Amino acid sequence: MTSTSRGVALQLEGVRRVFDNNRVVIAGMDLQIDPGEFLAVLGPSGCGKSTLLRMIARLSEPDSGHIRMQPDGEPFQTAFVFQDAHLLPWRDVLSNAALPLELMGEAKLTRLEKARAVLGQVGLLEALDRYPAELSGGMRMRVSLARALITEPRLLLLDEPFAALDEITRFHLDVQLRELWQGRGMTVIFVTHSVSEAAFLANRAVVLGGKGAAIQLDRRLELPAVRNNELRGDPRLGQEMRLLLGAIEE
Amino acid sequence: MKFLAPLVPLVLLTAISEFLVREGFVRAYLIPAPSDVFRAMIDSRLELAQALLSTSAGSLAGFSMSALTGIAIAVLLSSSRAVQRAFYPYAIFFQTVPLIAVAPLLVIWFGFGIQTVIASAFVASVFPVIANTLSGILSTDPPLRDLFKLYHASPLATLFKLRLPAALPQVFTGLRVSAGLAVIGAIVGEFIAGGGLGSVVEIARTQQRIDKVFAAVLLASLLGLGLFGLINLLSHLMLRRWHASEQPQ
Amino acid sequence: MLSHSMQRRAFLKTAPALALFAACTKSTRLKLALNWKPEPEFGGFYAAAYSKHGLALDILPGGTGTPTVQMVGAGSVDFGIVSADEIILARSHGNDVVALFAVFQDSPTGIMAHASRHLTSIGDVLKDGTLALESGLPFARLLKRKFGFSHVKIVPSPGGDITSFLHDEKFAQQCYLTSEPIAARRQGAAVKVFAVSEIGYDPYTTVLAVSGESLRKNPVRAQAMVTAVREGWQSYLDNPKAVNQQMHQLNPTMDLDTFAQVAEVQKPFIETDATRRNGLGTMSVQRWETLIAQFKELGDISQTIPAQECFRLL
Repeated sequence: MTSTSRGVALQLEGVRRVFDNNRVVIAGMDLQIDPGEFLAVLGPSGCGKSTLLRMIARLSEPDSGHIRMQPDGEPFQTAFVFQDAHLLPWRDVLSNAALPLELMGEAKLTRLEKARAVLGQVGLLEALDRYPAELSGGMRMRVSLARALITEPRLLLLDEPFAALDEITRFHLDVQLRELWQGRGMTVIFVTHSVSEAAFLANRAVVLGGKGAAIQLDRRLELPAVRNNELRGDPRLGQEMRLLLGAIEE
Repeated sequence: MKFLAPLVPLVLLTAISEFLVREGFVRAYLIPAPSDVFRAMIDSRLELAQALLSTSAGSLAGFSMSALTGIAIAVLLSSSRAVQRAFYPYAIFFQTVPLIAVAPLLVIWFGFGIQTVIASAFVASVFPVIANTLSGILSTDPPLRDLFKLYHASPLATLFKLRLPAALPQVFTGLRVSAGLAVIGAIVGEFIAGGGLGSVVEIARTQQRIDKVFAAVLLASLLGLGLFGLINLLSHLMLRRWHASEQPQ
Repeated sequence: MLSHSMQRRAFLKTAPALALFAACTKSTRLKLALNWKPEPEFGGFYAAAYSKHGLALDILPGGTGTPTVQMVGAGSVDFGIVSADEIILARSHGNDVVALFAVFQDSPTGIMAHASRHLTSIGDVLKDGTLALESGLPFARLLKRKFGFSHVKIVPSPGGDITSFLHDEKFAQQCYLTSEPIAARRQGAAVKVFAVSEIGYDPYTTVLAVSGESLRKNPVRAQAMVTAVREGWQSYLDNPKAVNQQMHQLNPTMDLDTFAQVAEVQKPFIETDATRRNGLGTMSVQRWETLIAQFKELGDISQTIPAQECFRLL
């Protein structure tokens, strides 16, 4: 946790979600997330991780139970990064990044300025007038990240965002994401099925599994605050990975 | 070089048919020799030019109406499931009604003149625009819709900033189909209401001037082709920076 | 006695063979193509007893724009109904079609106008208002040449439909004198008709035609056809009721009363002094020569064609 914490705290109480065919995806989950925490959510495919994330984002409602957020006054404090960048293909990089502010009604000049700034933070200043079709997968994901960060969210949700990218790009983006988090202090929930990524990025990991996405493991990772590529070879990372993997395989 | 490729079958076909008719293998009153068609074009060039202008005006006007009205109707239909269920069958009506049966009714309502030709072109060409535009609007990427929902975008903002631009490639698909149909519709309208290439075809037919019939039909096809090409150009200009269909392979 | 399922299996086994057999035996039935829907103008053709004369014949109804003269020339039908002016045009284009029997001795083509306009001659129709014509036809061009179209609005002929006529007092249209005026009167309109023969243009109409090649190859069949048709027309003129019923089944758009009326009204076109002398369907070389000369004058044909080659009396 950083000291200048600008994140929200989350309480999930008895959150239950059932799909139309009476399949219980999430059976009564209780979870507490502290402000500014970087939480990785792991689990096999189809175990309910994305469903959970969408409910936290208020894109769908739980069938029973509550998800409480503190503070909960500001309307635009949640941001979401999807598995694919999902940029608007008919707009250039700059106006894609500025989209959230545009939808919130902010004036053109200021929102484009902010977009420029946040795109600078992800290293895309040379690509402002390019179109998504002209970008690599990694660059598109960075635009998506910039778009998520432009509203200075207190809660950043990411659903396997780097899964479709090659390993080198993933490593870069992992480091970049971690740095952005440390600079801003928002609460981050990062869904992934990559054990190495979860261990590298997060300071807390939750493993879901079994029927109804039960919590198999909830662990504070014993790793240094600074995460860089040197950590990749560190035996402590391997240790955490083994623990997480063991919980998934149960 | 690639522009010459489509011309090869055309040249071959013209040469073969010329040979067949000249040597008497095919009777001239059934299929005219290409040289006769060409001569008919030259001989009646003023009449044909005027007719082409008239049919062009009628089909363009009808097509424009189809484009605007079709997109508008699709937007309305996309607003709710209930609206769609109630009104989409009527949109299908425009597709299935045999134009040649409806055209005489159009004359009763609109009278003899280009207004009926435009109406006929409209009836013939509006449905593909509605169907394709609606399909495009409804098939917007769910994550993008989630994104707009996340930032509390109004339904209108979602329509104009997301759904319509996303639907643009399919709108153009609809317009491409619609263009050719508008020309056909205009010609059918002209059979009944007079004027344009349709009238030239009708009169030449009763005069058993099959060379002139072919000349007029050829011009009508070229008109359809021209309209199609215009749509393609527009599509290219609007989509080239972002849609897969316009990207180099 | 085979059980149901056995019978079905037996049929299923033989059905493909039967179908193949049926396809192989080429149909030797003759075809007569009409140029309009079944109406009294074709009564005699439906009344004819073809089998009695050794002919197995099917009648194919037509509609707007059925290209009977091309169908006969191309051989896709054995006989067709055309008009004399179509034959002349066709022959000038190298399409060898020959007339055998002229049902209508005088052309029933005319122009129908509202009586309230108090028009006295065919030229008056062209003085104002709207006139629906098939402007490609020779009589239309003769009209234009004689009277000019500068004061009248010319629109395409509605092909038998009288809705525009009924809606507009100033609307006149090309018609068959035996057809549209009757329909209009039934709808309460007072009409005045002008025969196109008024301007001296009088082609034989509803003419039975055959290709020259077919005539040369099989003169006996052509003779049998003409005899059958002549008898059929005599029978229909004497009593049209049964055949009208038959045609009404094929063409329900015209009711039986109208069938009866039209059958009556068309008689003077079919039975004339010439036919009383020479038999129904007769044609004369002078009438053909006049028509050919008119075509030459109109510029529709570049050279005179021999009148004797246009028809054959059998």
